[in-house]
Formats: sequence, structure tokens, C-alpha cells
Amino acid sequence: MSDHLVQTTHVETAASASPERRLPPALRWAGLVLALIVVLALPMMIYPPVAMDILAWGLLAISVDLLLGYTGLLSFGHAAFWGASAYATGLIAIKTGLPFPVAVLGGALVAMLLAVPTGWLAVRRTGIYFAMVTLAFGQMLFFLANWARDLTGGENGLQGIPKTFFGSVVETDPFFFYYAALPLLLLGAWIAWRTVHSPFGRVLMAIRDNPARARALGYNVEKYKIMVFVISAGLAGLAGGVFSVSHGFASLQELIWTTSGKAVLITVLGGIGTLWGGPIGAAIVVMLEDKLASSGFEGIGIITGLIFVICVLAFRKGIWGTAADLIARTRTRQEHKRDIS
Amino acid sequence: MRTKSTVALASAMSASLLLAACGGGGPSAGGGKISDDKIVLAVLNDQSGVYKDVSGPNSVEAVKMAVEDFKAKHGDKAVTTNIEVVTADHQNKPDIANTKAQELYDRQKADIILDVPTSSAALAVANQAKTKKKMYINIGAGTTALTNDNCNKYTFHWAYDAYMLAHGTGKTVTENGGKKWNVVYPDYAFGQDMTKAFSAQVEAAGGSIGQKIPTPFPNDNFATFITKANSDQPDVIGTMHAGGDLINFVKQYNQAGLTGKTKLAVGLMFITDIHSLGADAFQGTQFTDAWYWNMDEQNKAWADKFMAKTKTRPSFAHAANYSAAMNYLETVQEAGTDTADEVVKKLEGKKINDFFLRNGEVRAKDHRVIHDVYLAEVKKKADVAEEWDYEKIVATIPAAEAFKQVDKSTCNMGS
Repeated sequence: MSDHLVQTTHVETAASASPERRLPPALRWAGLVLALIVVLALPMMIYPPVAMDILAWGLLAISVDLLLGYTGLLSFGHAAFWGASAYATGLIAIKTGLPFPVAVLGGALVAMLLAVPTGWLAVRRTGIYFAMVTLAFGQMLFFLANWARDLTGGENGLQGIPKTFFGSVVETDPFFFYYAALPLLLLGAWIAWRTVHSPFGRVLMAIRDNPARARALGYNVEKYKIMVFVISAGLAGLAGGVFSVSHGFASLQELIWTTSGKAVLITVLGGIGTLWGGPIGAAIVVMLEDKLASSGFEGIGIITGLIFVICVLAFRKGIWGTAADLIARTRTRQEHKRDIS
Repeated sequence: MRTKSTVALASAMSASLLLAACGGGGPSAGGGKISDDKIVLAVLNDQSGVYKDVSGPNSVEAVKMAVEDFKAKHGDKAVTTNIEVVTADHQNKPDIANTKAQELYDRQKADIILDVPTSSAALAVANQAKTKKKMYINIGAGTTALTNDNCNKYTFHWAYDAYMLAHGTGKTVTENGGKKWNVVYPDYAFGQDMTKAFSAQVEAAGGSIGQKIPTPFPNDNFATFITKANSDQPDVIGTMHAGGDLINFVKQYNQAGLTGKTKLAVGLMFITDIHSLGADAFQGTQFTDAWYWNMDEQNKAWADKFMAKTKTRPSFAHAANYSAAMNYLETVQEAGTDTADEVVKKLEGKKINDFFLRNGEVRAKDHRVIHDVYLAEVKKKADVAEEWDYEKIVATIPAAEAFKQVDKSTCNMGS
């Protein structure tokens, strides 16, 4: 038997079978409404550009989670799609002057197109090899962007990306821009949710848990992996596009491997295989970076690193994973009590 | 159905919350002579990464020194004594720099942002300054885009730029007898630009560049490139590497036994680079410096004051931060207001002579601040009299020649 058929992934997920069945529907709806309120109220509670960053990073983490948590593929090159879309969005916005949502969708499309050949190559391997192929591709794009300075501005970055939006207040005030960009990110989150909660998503989880059996059942494992890889790249692209328009520039920082690392870190911190974990992890990491930047403390990396280490050691399933586990456990206990009495 | 109406209710509630919140806000314009009754200077730079020693927290100290000196000088006649210094760490990430710049201008009421190394971050902040119509003096970044294609009314570039570095070293070294050059450069925008500028200067001064050798960036092993660069016995090998790459390059240049045989000229070097590797590793290397603490009594006096505060000697970036802050405050004093447009008007074309800016002038057309700069040579170890005493000034390059000529600038500020 060939090697990769017996290989299983060793990714520990919060959701080993079907995550959405753990909570009763009423609680899930309440959670959804609560999340929506929080998202809508966010720029009133914190500085709007920071709120925008949280959501953008949150969607990037969701896109990583789609691969890591639901398909068992650790992508270490998602900066490629985030960054490619950031540049593509910027170029579309600058050259055509179209409203920014169109530019962002264009950027996401570019990211998806890039993901087709990359995915085609990468999904033939799993585990560390998959991570390395994606990392290599990400670095390739980084050097390409650095080299094609006439197009990208090299290390100066692509500056002056407009927030074109029918000449309204959205263009100048980050508070209103947040609400204008929000639907794009919610669309991304919804696509991720639909993907996971569909027969397609079931097959992905089957592949994650036992690729050999999925293959034996007649599923074309590679094809499924490529498809989810492209979807994931599209979501990363949506997030990257919004990010670059929000900041008004795209820089090499968007393509460098540490950005991929940050995306994985956020995902693990929030909880893999949960989708909700992404935005929660992003909120923690982005706000921490923001607060520490003004604190005058010199070792920012030490703090974020320490939190990450504590999380990995103490909450293996991430923040949301642990919380969901606790809720589920209390519920089963209550049910037990009811059954006994 | 019930769940659907809950969603509708929740969104309606959130929407009304939203509308209620929109009432306030908006930037407060003008009003009194000093906005918010105080002047806020913000230093935005790298306080935890590679540029920490070059500028970093000690630049914040330098700006605080400027505020104290300003208050002491003007006493009761000062336009205001309520002067605040705030700071943020951009970690060399342009997105954080961008967000922090907005926050500093909007929330912390910063009237001016200073420093900002890393060119992508510097340009992002320049865009914010333009949007918010608030002042910004860059010190830490070397990109000439700030005073060319990406220039704007509220942005000034104080200490140095890539053109100045290339011009100073390329021209002066060639005139002093280094006719035959080979250049080794990192293959990305900064390296390519520097090489182009260097070539122009060397050729204009009657020299010639034999080989231009690109290296990967970043890179650890320069042995083959150094061998290649030395293969046709040039007078000078120029390197355009910076930071960690420069240190690696110089180490391997020494290991190749070229020290004292082939002259080494460096594109961008800070005194902190010499400090980290020791004077003997760099001895004889020539480079352009915007300012050197031990050049004369005036500089030394300031460096001593700086040393008393920080227990270290200043780099040119520290001195430039002080100079920029001090001249900003003086201009506010003159104008009697901290309204950006008024201060910019006063600052444009201003001639300044202080310990940092010798024969200085704020060029009105492109906001390049020009001043005398220096070709420095790293001393032999035996000549180093005290810690940080690493440089010997070989030549002074007059302000008018040191920077890109104003008529060659592509800057167009519009209004």
C-alpha cells in the first residue's frame, strides 16, 4: 500500500465529528445574533481602523481554519493569497477608479486563480510537506513583488489606494468605511459557514479524519482538496483586499511569511475547527499589538509569544474550542441529571 | 419564524445604536491659536526591532530634551508651556504605522509626527498627514519618494536620503583617487536605486564602474560575490547592503584578507553598525554621515547632554529628531499658532543653522531639508580614544551639493 494512503493527519481539532450539533439551535441563533451585534458595535467601542483590522485578520484566520480545521491541511503560505489580493485590489482601485467592493472582489478572484496551480501542486502532499510547498509559493510571490517594483512599488509599497465609494463619506471616515466593507467580510464568513455545513464539508471532514477511507468510498480526495484550497484562497483574498483598501496601501509586509505565521497563530489561538475561533483570536492578537505599540514596552514579541505558548500548553483546543467544550459538557451533565431524576 | 424576527429586531436595534453614535466626532478645526491648548509631538518609530538602536526610544528622549530646552529658552514668553511628547512603536510594519498615525492625529491630538523609519511605513504616514492636514517630519526613512513622487504639503524630510548617501560617498571617494569601482548590491529597490545613483556620481567624477554584482536579499554568504568583485583589482569595492547584511558582508570582506588592500565604501551605515561589530572590523571604510557627535565642540556639547540622559552616544537620527522637534517648536513660536498650514508656510524656505543643520534650508518646492553632510572614515582601532569615537571626517559636502538638485525633483504638491 502506498505511503500516503495510510497517512492520517495529526491535527487535534475541537470538533472531531460534527461541531454544529454540539449546541442546541436556540443557543446557536442567540450566539449568531450576539456576534452580529458585537460586530456592528465594534467600531464604537474601539478605534474603527483597528476594528477593521480585527475583522480582516479574522476572515484570514477563518480561511486558514477551513483548511487546517476541516480538511487537515496546514497552509503556511496564506500570505500569498492575502497579499496577492491586497496588491491586485490596490491596482484595480488605482487604475480603474471603480468602487472599492468591486476592486476587492477582483482581488479575491486573482487570489483564487493563483490558488488553482498552487493547490494542484500542494495537495499531493500532506502535513509538513504541504506546509513547505505553500510556504515556498508564498516566498516566491514575495520576491516577485519585491522585484516588479514598477507595478508594486518594491519595498516602498503600493501607496495611495483610494476608497472610492460613490463620493460618499465612506471615502474619508474610517467609521463609515467599516460598515461599507463589513458586508464583504460577512459574505466571506457566510461562504465558509456554508462550505462547512454542506455535504461538501462532510466529505472534507471525512478526508481529514481518514483520507484512505474517503478514497475507498469513491471520493476524489485531491479534487476536493483543490476545491477547498481555492475557496480558502478566495476568502483570504477578500480579507486582504479589504485590509489594503482600509489602510490605503499594500506593502511587502502583506506577502512575507511572518504574515502566514500570524494567520496560523490566530487560528490556533482562537481554536481550530471552529470557524468562530478565527475572529476571536484576531481580536486578541490585533488589540494586543495595538495596545502594546503605545505602551512603551519594548518586547512586544515576548508577550504575544508567551500568550501563544500558554494557550498551546493549557488550552489545546484554543479559546473558542475550550469554551464550546465547556458549554457542551455542562449540557450533557444537565441532561444526565434530568435522565436520572 | 421567531428566530427570524429576533434577528430583525437585533439588527434594527444595532442600526439605531449606530445612528446615535454618528452624531459626535469629526475633527475639530482651528478655534484657538493653539489647538486643544497644547502642542503634542508624537514620535512614531521602531522601539523593539532592528532600528531600535539607530533611533527608537532614545529618539523619544531627544525630543523630550528639545521640549525642555524650548521651555527653558522662552520661559513665560513661550506660546504655550503645555507641550506633550507621545510615542508609539510601529514594529517596522506599515499597517501598524498607518493605524497608529491616524490614532495619534485623531485621538491623541498630535500636531506633528516625527521619525518613522522603514520606507513603506514612512510613505503610509505621509499619506495620513496629507489626509488629516497635520504635520509630519520624517527622519528615519531613506526613500527619496517622500520628496519626489509622493511628496505633499505637510511632509518634510529632515536628515538624509538614499541620494545623499550615494552622492556623498560615490563622488567624494572617486575624487580622492578611487577611480576603478566594483559595486555589490542587494537585488531589491533600495539596492538598485543606490547602485544607479552611485554609478551616476562615480562616472560624473571621472571614475568608472567595472562590475555591478547583485546578491540575493537577505543573504548570509557573500564569499563568492566578494571574490568576484575583487577579481579585476579595483581601487574601491562599494557595498549597498544595510543592517545585518552589511555586517555579514564586512566580516567576510575582512576574512577574505582585503582589509587595507582594496578600499571599502559603504552605501548606508549608522554609527550603531560600527559599534556592534567593533571599529577594527570596519577600519578604513568610507561612508557618508549626516552628522557625527564628535566632530566639533558644538556637537560634543549636545552629545554630552544626550549621554547624561541615555548613557549612550547619539546617532545622527537622535540628533535629527532633536533638531526637527526644536525647529518645529520655534516655528510655532514665530507663527504664534500650531495650525499646520501656518507652520508649513513659516517653515518653507526657512534657513536654519543649528548643531545638526549646518547651512540648513527647508526647500519650499519639495520639502527636502538640506544641510552640510560629511564623508567619514572609520578610525583604526589604535586611534579610537573612547567608546563610540569611531569616525574621522574626511570631507564636508556643502548643503547645496549634498542633496538632489531642487530642479530635478519630481515633486508636485499641487496646491
